[in-house]
Amino acid sequence: MRINEHPVLGGYPKGEAVAFTFDGARLSGYAGEPVAMALKAAGVFIHRYTRKNHSPRGIFCAIGRCTDCVMIVNGRPNVRTCITPLAADMDVRTQYGMGAKHAAL
Amino acid sequence: MQRCDLIVIGAGPAGLSAAVEAARQGMRVTVYDENARPGGQLFKQIHKFFGSREHKAKIRGIRIGEELLQEASAAGVQVELDAVVTGIFADKEVTVRQGERMLRRKADTLIIATGASENMTSFENWTLPGVIGAGAAQTMMNLHGVRPGEKILMLGSGNVGLVVGFQLLQAGCQVVAVADALPGIGGYGVHAAKLARCGVPFYTAHTIVRAEGVERVTGAVIGAIDQNWHIVPDSEKHFDVDTICLAVGLSPMSRLCGLAGCVMEDNPQKAGLVPVVDALGETSVPGIFAAGDVSGIEEASSAMIEGRIAGLAAAHRMGFMASSALDARLAELTGALASLRAGMFAPGSKGKVFTHTAEGCALSASLLRRGFVADEEIDRYPGVTRARGVHPVLECTQNIPCNPCADACPRQCITVGADGGTITALPVFDAARGCTGCGLCVAACSGQAIFLVDEEAGEITLPYEFLPLPQKGEQGMALGRDGQPVCPAEVVAVRTSAAFDKTNLLTIRVPAEYAGRARFYRKER
Ligand code: FES
Repeated sequence: MRINEHPVLGGYPKGEAVAFTFDGARLSGYAGEPVAMALKAAGVFIHRYTRKNHSPRGIFCAIGRCTDCVMIVNGRPNVRTCITPLAADMDVRTQYGMGAKHAAL
Repeated sequence: MQRCDLIVIGAGPAGLSAAVEAARQGMRVTVYDENARPGGQLFKQIHKFFGSREHKAKIRGIRIGEELLQEASAAGVQVELDAVVTGIFADKEVTVRQGERMLRRKADTLIIATGASENMTSFENWTLPGVIGAGAAQTMMNLHGVRPGEKILMLGSGNVGLVVGFQLLQAGCQVVAVADALPGIGGYGVHAAKLARCGVPFYTAHTIVRAEGVERVTGAVIGAIDQNWHIVPDSEKHFDVDTICLAVGLSPMSRLCGLAGCVMEDNPQKAGLVPVVDALGETSVPGIFAAGDVSGIEEASSAMIEGRIAGLAAAHRMGFMASSALDARLAELTGALASLRAGMFAPGSKGKVFTHTAEGCALSASLLRRGFVADEEIDRYPGVTRARGVHPVLECTQNIPCNPCADACPRQCITVGADGGTITALPVFDAARGCTGCGLCVAACSGQAIFLVDEEAGEITLPYEFLPLPQKGEQGMALGRDGQPVCPAEVVAVRTSAAFDKTNLLTIRVPAEYAGRARFYRKER
């Protein structure tokens, strides 16, 4: 999903390559890019499931406006991943309703 | 409480322009913006802007953004980021949430330049991951270098849908179709034509029926609609897509104006609820101004001028600028604004149906419905001529405010609105001045609607902004305006230059009889 070379923009300034975890699995991304971008580049599309209908949500606005992309980041729920910069060793988890999986059951 | 002379809310094109002008007059200016980066949408706009030289035409939005930031820092403007203005109270006091802190700030004047938000539309399964806003697509690919998807359906054929659709192609995505519920394409014909010649089909009078998929989008179904907005039975079409991109309009983000007590109006010409402002952008509350999309949806070029006007007016109001100095600047700026607000797509033309250009040429029905001017229609436009040797063919068929082609030609071969006419006139080529084939007009045309053609040699030079760049000597296929194969073609030259700013000029050779039809090139035969 990454664009290596763009006809107008050329390359993209990138932070250092870092590892983070998504639901326990180890993924890599670039420090400073939005968490949602690192997830997308790694092929992750579902960020959360809604509370009542358990329906999946992913990136929608990408600018922090719609809250569709919220996840549990370093133990904190409702973090808008599209505007949260990625840092090394971040713990990112799918959000179920308002919290972690067991909370929704 | 901290005070300054002027608080600007929003660091997009309007807000930054306002801040720069006011600070240059000596005001202490602070700009608050809720985002982590200043510039608003400018840094996502990688296309060349329309207008004329005074509007920064043929310069890409990203470069205009960089320029504005430099101007702001040189003028001493303070820009506060991640700073959400949450309220405006009496006496121009504002509350700002920055990180975990709540700040109270006060100024003598306020300029609200909060821009616009994207409209959404709902349909079956529209909440599935893979349904995204056009702005989101731009953010992903142009700021972060991540493709929003591989196969994409674009909903909406206004300029946003068309421009983002083309950017998706540039990012290496496949755009399977552009659909619009209206019977005609809403944006500039030249933007649609860029997509069409790459083979993107348009479905006007079509709407989305549903997104398909369980955990994410795996397909989309569109259907034709009749005059009563009902889906025509048996008209449904399915596309395999992983992404559905919504570009169904923008609305002014004017809530803060309401909070500030400004008189508001619901104005369809301005695309929604906006503050009532005077010619300087001042609202009904003395000392509070609004500029840019918040006071009516337009292009970024107009937003920048409105911002400059409001910044100067604020400076004048507080005694930082003499009336005579203000008047002189206003004469120049209001003239520039008026020339942008002319033509078929002007805010004042909304709802009007045009059948002919101002020159009296019938508009292309094919362009409006299918996104390209049909071969049998193209000769009716004044820029489309035949001449001996190499010469430009100007496939500009609508009255839009734009004249970089005339500006670019070192021999003044091209005229837009002769004798003090408007910049919305269709361009005309004067063969007597002798085209040298330099290609500057091809690269300067923001609509990529100019081709250098040598009919006898069968050579066509076209603008090309994709990777990989074809190689000289390569054999491929020439495509028509409709994106369909026309004939085999050989690449005979590839020109790049700093002056072209990333618009490469590809020269292909085709059998002479196809010189009037071949308008794009593809490597596969
Ligand atoms: S995608 Fe809308 S808030 Fe993140």
